Amino acid sequence: MSETTSVWQRSNRDKFTILWGRYSTVAILVLMIAVFSLVEPIFMSGRNMLQIVDQGSVTILLACGEFFAILLAGIDLSVGSVMALSGVITAQLIGTGLPWPMAMLMGVLSGGLAGFLNGLLISATKLPPFIITLGTMAILRGTTWVLSNARAVPVSNAMYSRVISGRLFTVVPTSLILILILAGFLIFFTTRTKAGRNLYAMGGNPQAAWYAGINITRHTLLAFTISGICAALAGAVNIARLGSAEPNAGTGYETYAIAAVIIGGTSFFGGEGVIWKVLVGGLIIATINNGLNMVGVSAYYQQIAMGALIILAVTLDRFFGPRSGR
Amino acid sequence: MECLVSMDHITKEFSGVPALRDISFEIQAGEIHALLGENGAGKSTLMKILSGAYTPTSGSIAINGDTYNHLTTKQSADAGISIIYQELSLVPQLSILENIFVGRLLTTKVFGVSVLDYPAMRARSRELLEMVGLNRSPNTVVRALSISEKQLVEIAKSLAFGARVIVMDEPTSSLVEEEVDRLFTIVGRLRDNGTAVVFISHKLNEVMALADRVTILKDGAAVGTLPIGECTIDLLVQLMVGRELKSKYLSNHADMRGSAEPVLEVSNLTRSDGKVRDISFTLYAGEILGVSGLVGAGRTELMAAIYGAAPKRSGVITLKGRTLKIRRPYDAIKVGIAMVTEDRKGTGFFHNFSVSQNIAIGQDVKSSFWGGLGGLINPRNQQHRAQEQVLDLSIKCRDIHQRIIELSGGNQQKVLLGRQLTAGCEVIIFDEPTKGIDVGTKSAIYTLMRDLADAGVGVLVVSSELPEIMAISDRIMVFSEGRIATVMPVVEATEEKLVRAAALGSAWDKGTQQSEEQP
Repeated sequence: MSETTSVWQRSNRDKFTILWGRYSTVAILVLMIAVFSLVEPIFMSGRNMLQIVDQGSVTILLACGEFFAILLAGIDLSVGSVMALSGVITAQLIGTGLPWPMAMLMGVLSGGLAGFLNGLLISATKLPPFIITLGTMAILRGTTWVLSNARAVPVSNAMYSRVISGRLFTVVPTSLILILILAGFLIFFTTRTKAGRNLYAMGGNPQAAWYAGINITRHTLLAFTISGICAALAGAVNIARLGSAEPNAGTGYETYAIAAVIIGGTSFFGGEGVIWKVLVGGLIIATINNGLNMVGVSAYYQQIAMGALIILAVTLDRFFGPRSGR
Repeated sequence: MECLVSMDHITKEFSGVPALRDISFEIQAGEIHALLGENGAGKSTLMKILSGAYTPTSGSIAINGDTYNHLTTKQSADAGISIIYQELSLVPQLSILENIFVGRLLTTKVFGVSVLDYPAMRARSRELLEMVGLNRSPNTVVRALSISEKQLVEIAKSLAFGARVIVMDEPTSSLVEEEVDRLFTIVGRLRDNGTAVVFISHKLNEVMALADRVTILKDGAAVGTLPIGECTIDLLVQLMVGRELKSKYLSNHADMRGSAEPVLEVSNLTRSDGKVRDISFTLYAGEILGVSGLVGAGRTELMAAIYGAAPKRSGVITLKGRTLKIRRPYDAIKVGIAMVTEDRKGTGFFHNFSVSQNIAIGQDVKSSFWGGLGGLINPRNQQHRAQEQVLDLSIKCRDIHQRIIELSGGNQQKVLLGRQLTAGCEVIIFDEPTKGIDVGTKSAIYTLMRDLADAGVGVLVVSSELPEIMAISDRIMVFSEGRIATVMPVVEATEEKLVRAAALGSAWDKGTQQSEEQP
């Protein structure tokens, strides 16, 4: 939620708090890029930057959807499973000879349907999203295995892989274009539509939202459907890159998605956060992985670094963020 | 008689504002002592001082002959003072036994190690439950009990700790008649065993039936203590209220019936949970209809039902002759029924939103479609509207982008009013609109209500403060136990009449006739 308060009339302490609140995520990213570039100059190259985005695209796409679950003070643990399911469905439809754009669309719709199901169960049972999506995480993973006989489904249309995992003019990754289109749409949705703003209201105070006339059920359905669609887009990118739909794809990816959302400054208590920072959060995770690879740190340490960063980012937010009470 | 507690010249100030002034209060062994007074008269504050939760600004407390200057909650409990609050303090997930002994579990040594002594606790619980007349196994989980049974468990818990004085804060407010009778039997038995019971209630007939002595508080001072034999309901009402108050707002008042057309008509409305039953009334355009009565008598509950926030079993609501179907707040907002809720923080504002966003959401939802889902936001227009309200209502904030939580309670309330004003409405419901709000803002809100009414809006105001309701209303509707006890034009209303109607409910008319016949 943008504010146009004039920052410079405040005390230094306030200035720092306000600026930190707005740009801490960017600051972390810039700092990381600076450090990696000092150690390994190639890191800074435009080629590598695009590489980071491409590598991080699955995480970023998942995070864009996860954002809406967390915005409602909930969570969506099923995004990894949705990603695998929609990937398998897309690959199988391509296998039946359906034109690939149609197959991709159907795959994305199946993801939306899975998200809709999450929202439906959450609204109907009034149980915490954690529990419902923990259940659907297993259900959808199992469904994926059933559909694919637990075997990888090859993507039989070479054009699909070439377009979705390819590069425009051999430079700009298609995944980046996909992310920019999605982000543009979601930024418009969260800042300029009533539905988007109502989600913030619900996340902040569901009771007051109900009294203000907001239909809680429909908005919950909407939020989780968006999460499912984003996960399916991640699935579409993933199968294009691998050339086949792995039924085990995306296992554990919900943690990356949640991490990106949280590092991006979204409040776990709901009602606070913006899309562009989530993108930055996803980039931070991609940067850690890419940068540590480049300077020769093993993948084991990368996990430790990401975990530490989550705790650090949230701790800093706790002390300097809008809720720190300063 | 043995004097268990003697509170001597107690004064309590909250940041300089006196809440209690020079109150002396005595509790004797084996008596039921009723504590009476309007909302805000100081009953709860006095009892919190007795429990050690508040330290009095001046005055002393003697319990069993020991004088305390700084009574702590632990000293109070150890001396045998036990307070049973309206919202009971049992742990619902634990059993009766565990609740009774929580914090002071009985232990025994087994091979030199302390372990819980369940047989002893079970035996003691059975004894206590029998004493309070609760026929349940000590292993029953408290969640499974009714409110009245939970109350009995609270009493058992007090007795387990050797309570000599049990204070009960409005124990009958959520009980049905048989449960009240059972409670009274137990309370009577406690008295006969030498326990003192302090009974806080608004229901005068209960006080008359049960108490041995009555102490009346008014505006933070003690009016007096009387043996029940010297009391009549009329006398109690007079002592509780007896305040000189005719308001300056009164001159504006007019009886709108006849001259104006009805805006809102409610007939035979009953809530699904039965909290209000068979309600019929009419609200006229341009009038302020005050809704009085005790907390829990059904005022807020009726408003929630009209606004669609609580399900209705039966009843018809019409707005300007059109019959409405209101199933959720959205439906009410759409047809032009607005509500400013009692609980600003819980059901009013969005703490994560700025002043501007909190104002804008009202009109945005009203002008949306499909349950608030459909429609776009125009930020410039939104800020313009917010700016207007900030100026009109003189909301004190740094700018419209300031977060609402940083504002004072009064300004937060103004923001919520601004939300309704930009959205526009035909009927507006205010539930305790001046709760916890400073005097200046209060009068601003009163003026605003009158302006709305003058503009032809029907205004419903729920308030627990009699002076407030007398000052702002054109007519007053009094609730008692889920029903409308009476409706009267404000010119005929006196605080005595309102208190009597609220306390006696449908028996109100009979009560007045009798008292008029007596002299």
